[in-house]
Amino acid sequence: MRSSEQENNIKTHYLYPAALFAEPEPHLVDTILGSCVAVCLYDPVKKIGGINHYMLPFWNGTGLASPKYGNIAIQKLVEKMLFMGSSKGNIQAKIFGGGEVVDTKTNMFKIGERNIEIAENMLAELKIKITGKSIGGKQGRKIRFNTETGVVLMKLIQKST
Amino acid sequence: MLSDKELIEQLKIRLAKSAEMAVMLAKQGEELQSVNEKLSESEALKSHFISNITNEIVNPFASILGLSKNIIASKESDIIKIKSMAELIHSEAFELDFQLKNIFTAARIEAGEASPEYIKTDISQLITSIISAYKYKAEQKQLKINFSFDLDKALSDAHFFRTDPEKLKLIISNLLSNGIKYSNAANRIEVKAWRDENSLKLMVKDFGIGIDKKNLEIIFDRFKRLDASINSLNPGHGLGLSVTKSLLDLMNGNIEIASKRGIGSIFTISIPEGDDTNSDGYALDGNEFIFGNSEDEVF
Repeated sequence: MRSSEQENNIKTHYLYPAALFAEPEPHLVDTILGSCVAVCLYDPVKKIGGINHYMLPFWNGTGLASPKYGNIAIQKLVEKMLFMGSSKGNIQAKIFGGGEVVDTKTNMFKIGERNIEIAENMLAELKIKITGKSIGGKQGRKIRFNTETGVVLMKLIQKST
Repeated sequence: MLSDKELIEQLKIRLAKSAEMAVMLAKQGEELQSVNEKLSESEALKSHFISNITNEIVNPFASILGLSKNIIASKESDIIKIKSMAELIHSEAFELDFQLKNIFTAARIEAGEASPEYIKTDISQLITSIISAYKYKAEQKQLKINFSFDLDKALSDAHFFRTDPEKLKLIISNLLSNGIKYSNAANRIEVKAWRDENSLKLMVKDFGIGIDKKNLEIIFDRFKRLDASINSLNPGHGLGLSVTKSLLDLMNGNIEIASKRGIGSIFTISIPEGDDTNSDGYALDGNEFIFGNSEDEVF
């Protein structure tokens, strides 16, 4: 059984890590987050939204600048929103993920934490308001983003080792 | 009022502080300088790349146009000539197609539209088809391509492997094309594939110019060609290996290189079998996304 929204024939999309999704047509975008972070951007005026799913905070400058990295993924997503006709002043953001799901004693890399930090810093710099968030902690998250309404449904998940 | 002695002490402290600041500023200046250098280097690489790909796209088109015009104008009796011209057209078009695929894939990866689509693939057939596509290019350099596929007899479906065939095809094409490009004439290239538990391994070995140790780290950088002089003889825009690396990253694979200048190079890739589990370690069983009940948190 699927939820009622899906019965209304709204298209769904499964967002893979290191990918981003932004289309003018309404979609339900599903993704699963561990230490990765997803930034959902929503424009309540145009009723459109976009979402990314990045794994690491910064592009190291070699290889391709792919949206696997937060700084690239957030910039590309904002560009896509502007391309679809949003004006920057209207865009709102919700951020999810960045949990420390892999239990390491030293936790030297703090990937989740740094993934969250880059999102908060970049959004502040871009003057995009964060209207909702569920970040950090030790659990993974399943989220479903409705790009037409901007509503995000979320479940915390137990690790399935 | 402060005494003279106290004033001198205060001055000393301030001087020391300002000296510290000056050092810090100098350090930051240096950092800025190096960032600036990197940026201008990247800018130069980009414009070099543009002029490079312009050549690589314009030149094949010019020869395709010229050759096809010749074919149209030639007499029926010239069948041997026509055939050799058609072969040249095919080889130019083949190269063009390959270069464009690399450019488009790089653009797609940058735009985040390159998530792998895993399907069950006949690996042996996939590799054989790539090798036969490169046969003509190899023959031009009198190269022989040896392919062996180590079957694990225990696995009845060892030929089949869940992967993204389009991406794997481009990865192998890049390795093979490089192997041919940098091989010495009248030699051989070895392609070997085997299964290692849940991974597919593939090795491409050439007996060519090889790579210096100090250059091994930068060959995956975008737009970088190690030797500008090779550039004039051999086409290439330095995008192939960076695309290869990024595609492997997307598929959770990796690549290893062993190379010696003047002797040759061995590229070995390893790709885990693709499945329906997400990279964060959560299995998707199809019931993951049942939302709409009261337990959901709404944002």
